[in-house]
Amino acid sequence: MSLTARERKKLAVGLAFIGPNIAGFLIFILFPLVFSLAMAFTNWDLRLHNIFKGNDVRFVGLENFVRLFREPDFFQYLGNTLFLMMAIPFSVAGSLFAAILLSQDLRGGDRRVWGGVLACAGLVVGTGALVMVGAKVTAMLLLVGGVAGIVLIGGVVGGRTVHRTLFYFPHFTAGVATFLLWKKLYSPHTGPVNHALRPILTQFAGLVTRLPVGSVRALALFCAALSAAVVLFGVRQLRRGWRDGEIGGLSIALGSVLLFAPVVAWPCCGGSAGAGWVVVATAVVAGGMLWVGIAKPRDFTCTLDRGLGHGLIVCGALMVVQFALLGLGNVFTDLPAMSADGLNPPEWLTQYSWAKPSIMIMGFWAAIGSNNMLLYLAGLSNIPVELYEAADIDGASRVQRFWNVTWPQLAPVTFFILVMAVIHGLQGGFEMARTMTRGGPAGSTTTLSYYVYTQGFETGRLGYASAVAWTLFALVFLVTLFNWKFGNRYTND
Amino acid sequence: MTDHDDTLTLEERASNRAVYTRRVAWTTALHLLLAGIALTLVLPFIWMVLTSLKELEEVGLESWLPRVFQWSNYREVFHVEGILFGRWYWNSVFVAASVTFLQVLTSSLAAFSFSRLDWPGRDRVFLLYLATMMLPGLVMMIPNYQVMIKLGLVDSYLGLIIPASFSAFGTFLLRQFMMSIPRSLDEAAEIDGASKWQLFWDVILPLARPGLITLGIFTFIGNYHSFFWPLVVLKSTHRYTLPIGLLFFDSSQGQQTNLMMAAITMSVIPMILIFVLLQKQLVKGIQLGAVKG
Repeated sequence: MSLTARERKKLAVGLAFIGPNIAGFLIFILFPLVFSLAMAFTNWDLRLHNIFKGNDVRFVGLENFVRLFREPDFFQYLGNTLFLMMAIPFSVAGSLFAAILLSQDLRGGDRRVWGGVLACAGLVVGTGALVMVGAKVTAMLLLVGGVAGIVLIGGVVGGRTVHRTLFYFPHFTAGVATFLLWKKLYSPHTGPVNHALRPILTQFAGLVTRLPVGSVRALALFCAALSAAVVLFGVRQLRRGWRDGEIGGLSIALGSVLLFAPVVAWPCCGGSAGAGWVVVATAVVAGGMLWVGIAKPRDFTCTLDRGLGHGLIVCGALMVVQFALLGLGNVFTDLPAMSADGLNPPEWLTQYSWAKPSIMIMGFWAAIGSNNMLLYLAGLSNIPVELYEAADIDGASRVQRFWNVTWPQLAPVTFFILVMAVIHGLQGGFEMARTMTRGGPAGSTTTLSYYVYTQGFETGRLGYASAVAWTLFALVFLVTLFNWKFGNRYTND
Repeated sequence: MTDHDDTLTLEERASNRAVYTRRVAWTTALHLLLAGIALTLVLPFIWMVLTSLKELEEVGLESWLPRVFQWSNYREVFHVEGILFGRWYWNSVFVAASVTFLQVLTSSLAAFSFSRLDWPGRDRVFLLYLATMMLPGLVMMIPNYQVMIKLGLVDSYLGLIIPASFSAFGTFLLRQFMMSIPRSLDEAAEIDGASKWQLFWDVILPLARPGLITLGIFTFIGNYHSFFWPLVVLKSTHRYTLPIGLLFFDSSQGQQTNLMMAAITMSVIPMILIFVLLQKQLVKGIQLGAVKG
C-alpha cells in the first residue's frame, strides 16, 4: 500500500490519538482472543506442564471438544444454564408491569385529585397504624408497617422518582454483597424467609388436610387445563400469523416445536395421569387445529423464514409459562400427601431441587426494577398519544389497549431486552455459584461460566477450559446472528 | 375539568363529581400497589440494616429488631482479626476510580480519532473493535491471566487496573456521542488555526461531557462490583477489593452475620450515593446506550 505524504501524515495523527487505546486493545483483547482459540486445541494442563514437570504442550486437534461432548457433566451444566434462563420471561414481564405502573399519571391529572389521593393515603396509613397498635402486634410488624406507611406517603408526595429509585435499588446494588445477603435470607433454620414461611405453611397444611382430596386434585387439573389453554392460545397466534402472511413455514415448524415441547416432556416427568391426559388431549386437538389452519389456502404468502424472531420469542415465552403451570400442577397433585405430614419450608440453596429456583427468585427480585424497566419506561413515553386516543374512540378496554397498542409498539424494546437477556444468561451464573453455593449441591447450580472457572483456574486444565469457553461463545454467537438476521425488522420500525 | 363554572347543570356537576371520585380511587389504588411492590423489594435491605445492629446471639432469632442497637458493630468491622475492611474499601474505591479515569481518557482519545479524523484503514479498525464487543469476557480470562504472569502483574493493583482501562464498548459509546456533534465546529476551529489536539481538548471534549459522565458512571459501577478478575489476580489479603473481601465474612470468621451485614451495608453506600447524586445522567445513559448499542 503506497500512501502519499499527506495521507501518511493523516495516518500518523489518527494513530497518535488512538495509540494508547489500540495498544491496550491489542495486548488485552485481541491477543488473548487469538491465544485462547489456539489454547482450545492444545492439551495445556497446569497439572502436567509446570516448573516441576517439563512436558511439552502439544496441539491435540479437536480432542478437547470431543471430550467435552462426551462429558455428561457438561450437559448437566448446560442444562442448568438453560434452566436458570427460564426466569427471563418472568422478569421481563415484571419489568414491563413495573414500567407501566410507573408510567401512569401518579398525580391523577390535577391538584385536586392529588389532594384527594393524599388524603386517602393518609387515611389508609392512619387506620393501619391504629389497627396495629390496637391489636398489639409485635414491634417488628409495627416497624414494617411504619416503613410501608412512609413508602406510601413518600410515593404520593414524591411521585415517580421515589418509586423508580426504590424499584431500581436491588438491581443497582446487585453484586457479591446482595448475593451474600440473600444467602443469609435463605438460611434454612435461622433465615427470615423460612421464619416467615413456617407459620404460613403450617396454617396452609391444616387448611389442605381439611379440604377433600378431590378439590386439591382439581386444582392440579385446573393447572393442566390452563396450560392447555396456553397451547391453544399459541396455536391461534401461529394460525393468525400464517393466514396474514406474517409467519413463514420455518417459523411455524420451530415455533410449534417449542410450543409442544412441554406437552411431550410432560408424561416423562412423572406428572399425575389425570392431568397428563388433559394435556395430551389438548396437544392432539391443538395439533389438529394447527394442521387444519395451515392446510387451508391463505390470504397472503411470505418467505419461509418470515417472522422467525417474533414466532420463536412468543412460543419460547409460552413454553416457559407451560412448564411453570405444569410444575404447579405437580405440586397440587402431591399436596394432600405432603400436607398430611405437615409442610416444611424448603432448604433453599442447600437442597438439590430448590437451589436453582432460589437463585431464580433472587434474580427476579433484582431484575424487576433493572435497566429493562428503564428501557420500557423510555419506550412507553415514545408511544404516540394519538394511538391511545384512537383506541379510546374505538371503545377499547384497558386490556385491549395494552395488547393492540402498547405491546406491538414496544416490540422493538422487548426484542432487544430478550436478546440481551439471553446473551447474558448464557454467560451468567458465575457470581452466584461462587458466592452462594460453590456450584452445588451436587452441581445443581454450576453454570457453564462457573465450569470454565473451576476447570481453568482451580483445576488448571487450561486447554480444556478454553474449549468450554469457546463452545459457550459459539452459543452466544448463534444468538447474536439471530439478532442480526431478525432484529432489524424491529429496530427499523 | 373546569372548576367553578356557573353554567354547569346539576347533572354535569354530578358527573364531574363521579369522575373526580373515580380518579382519586384509581390513583390511590395505584399508589397502594406501587407501595406494596416497593416495600417487598426493599424488605431484604431493612432486614440487612437491622441485623447489622444486633448482637451476635440474637442474629438467628425470629424478631428482626435488635434488643439494643449495637452501633459499635460498624466500628468493630474495621478491627476484626484477619479482616482488613478499611483497606479493602479503599482498594475498591481506588481501583474503580483509576480504571474510570483511564478508561474515559483512552476511550475519548480513540473515539475522537474514529469520529473526527480521516485516516486510511480507519473504518476497518473500527469494525474490528465492534466485532470484539460482543465476545464473552470469559473467553479472554484464561489467556489474559497468562499475559499477567508474563508482565509480572499478578497480585498487584496494576494487574486489576490496566487490563480494564481499554474498552471497546467505551470507545463505541463515545464515538456515537461525538458523531452527533456538528462538523461545522471542526471547520471553525481549523479556520482559527487550532491544532487537532486543541480541537479535541477545547472543542469536542467539553461538548461530549454528558457522554463522558455516562461512561464514567458505568465504568465505576462495573468495576466496583467486579468479581471474577480480582478473584483470579489477587493473592495477598491486603490487596483484596471489597467483593473478594466480603467472602471472608462468610467463611473463616465464625459466621459473624451481624458484622457481615454491617460490612455489606457499608459496601453498598457508595452505590447509593452515586445513584442519588447522578440519577438523571444514569437513567439517560442507560436509555441512550441501549438505543445506540
